[in-house]
Amino acid sequence: MKQIAFLAVLAAVALALPLVIGENPYIIGILISMLMMAALSSAWNILGGYAGQYSFGHAAYFGAGAYTTLILLTLYNLNPLFCIAVGIVVASIIALVTGSIVFRLRGHYFGLASIAVAEVVRLSVLNFNFTGGAQGILLSDVALWDLDLNSKTPFYYGMLLVLVVTLSITAYLRRSKTGYYLQAIREDQDAAASLGINIYFYKNKALLLSAALTSVLGSLYGLYIRFIDTSAVLDLRLSIEIILTAIIGGVGTLWGPVIGALLLVPLAEILRSNLIGDVLIKAGLVSETSGVGLFLKGSLANAHVLLYGIITVLCILYLPKGILGLFRRKK
Amino acid sequence: MSFLQPLISGILTGGVYALAGIGMSLVFGVMNISNFAHGDLMMLGMYLAFFAFTLLHIDPYISLVLIIPISFLFGYMMERIFINKVIHHPHQNQILLTIGLGLIMSNTALLAFTSDPKILTTTYSSSAFTLFGDVSVSVPLLLSFLITCGITLILYLFLSKTSTGMALRATSQNREAAQLMGINVAKMSAIAFGIGTALAATAGALIAPTYYIHPLAGHTFLLKAFTICVLGGLGSVVGAGVGGIIIGVVEAMSSTYLSSDWKDVIVFLIFLAVLLLRPQGLFGKKGGQ
Repeated sequence: MKQIAFLAVLAAVALALPLVIGENPYIIGILISMLMMAALSSAWNILGGYAGQYSFGHAAYFGAGAYTTLILLTLYNLNPLFCIAVGIVVASIIALVTGSIVFRLRGHYFGLASIAVAEVVRLSVLNFNFTGGAQGILLSDVALWDLDLNSKTPFYYGMLLVLVVTLSITAYLRRSKTGYYLQAIREDQDAAASLGINIYFYKNKALLLSAALTSVLGSLYGLYIRFIDTSAVLDLRLSIEIILTAIIGGVGTLWGPVIGALLLVPLAEILRSNLIGDVLIKAGLVSETSGVGLFLKGSLANAHVLLYGIITVLCILYLPKGILGLFRRKK
Repeated sequence: MSFLQPLISGILTGGVYALAGIGMSLVFGVMNISNFAHGDLMMLGMYLAFFAFTLLHIDPYISLVLIIPISFLFGYMMERIFINKVIHHPHQNQILLTIGLGLIMSNTALLAFTSDPKILTTTYSSSAFTLFGDVSVSVPLLLSFLITCGITLILYLFLSKTSTGMALRATSQNREAAQLMGINVAKMSAIAFGIGTALAATAGALIAPTYYIHPLAGHTFLLKAFTICVLGGLGSVVGAGVGGIIIGVVEAMSSTYLSSDWKDVIVFLIFLAVLLLRPQGLFGKKGGQ
């Protein structure tokens, strides 16, 4: 009962948030990034957290959704929802190819192969002509029903919807036969196989589900930003950000990825928008023209990836079960 | 003739790749860790060579005398401070830790050295001589290849003749049994990681005169080193040597006959094909582990 009340309050807050903020595009933009990262990380968590198969190449599925949707829209101007559906198909094909190659192996191989597949996708997109190559794809106009797609609010609700769907699937999976099978595979693959679980089938099932959700988020991102290139949607850095978000919150937990996104996205934004430098300079602690001031203003904006590195190292060494792991009783 | 040209330059470049691959394979064999910071360690080697050349005016090939001990110590300390904390963790934690360390190295380099690519130009950087009438051989690539052969030979003698080398190989074969025989496996891990780092940095320094130097250059080399290791068999030092040469030749061939844009795609497709057809690699013993 308490849980339902909590969820109801959370849902009400999430639904009402754009109304409260109004049309402040900056804040809404950050909220959309948070929802997207939470959903991406939750989708990754189905495969990485529950089935224990760490994919280091989820950017491939994100990029598959984004590129398929934008290419179809710019070439044929189809219904965006149809384009998103085709994106899911493309991502699923990539996932099935990856899965059929690497799920027969175990240990280090899946991680390595997932990177290799993602790199093949990235380099192919970069080298083909129909994908815009290094220039990327710019989407001029898009229409769906009567929605004002120049405003950010529809995308807020779109990302929220995908997040809710992903979390619901995860919550359902946890208590379903498939979910138990996946956790059994994560804990001991050989024991799971000896109990008659078709590990190959269930790993692929988790990968497909995860890839399909990731591709929808990629499509939404493409429609939202309206410009994509390989460094934005297919980079290894994106795959690592997705994992890191889950690790910080707690891998293999329902809410871990959401908590990770709530923490990491604003943190990255503070560094990217150079808030620290601005505050220090305005407070008069650092002179704007001094060496330190110039460094803070100039270089620190690029430092968020460095910070990701530091957080990853600290997290693995001191908090391998994530923030939620702190609150769990030790078994 | 057009066939000999890519073959020879491929073998020469492949030799340097092999050095990076051997370093990674050694670490994998002894510690059972996939080192995702390997490419960034190569990048550090490139910058070490660059600064030795521009600040101290030392030739990049001679500066190896400094780079090898410095990077060995760096790797040794890195293992002692970070890596050994996760040696009994699940392998995904090990991968993430090395990814994190790699991000720290590459982005610190980005802050310190900016993202402008640097070029190390020696007097012989673009000199070449011709062989068999019309095959041109680049002098810096040939020098790098010869130094690679020398270092590989020294490493081979070290691993097969010295007691430390034998202890390293014993740890690689069976960690528990080696420990029971009185080998200090923790120390062996640190030594292996130090050697791996030194080999990566050396490969970086050797490639520096013919490549552009950039804080994020490690990324490309990391994936190449993985391909080489898997192709040769994870943990097999000999395999990594052969794998490096093969990858070098494949790259040169696909640049010549296909397009240089697609050479990395070909390399990764080979990687996936090896996983599909022969996951234990060319020289690996156990499959599917």
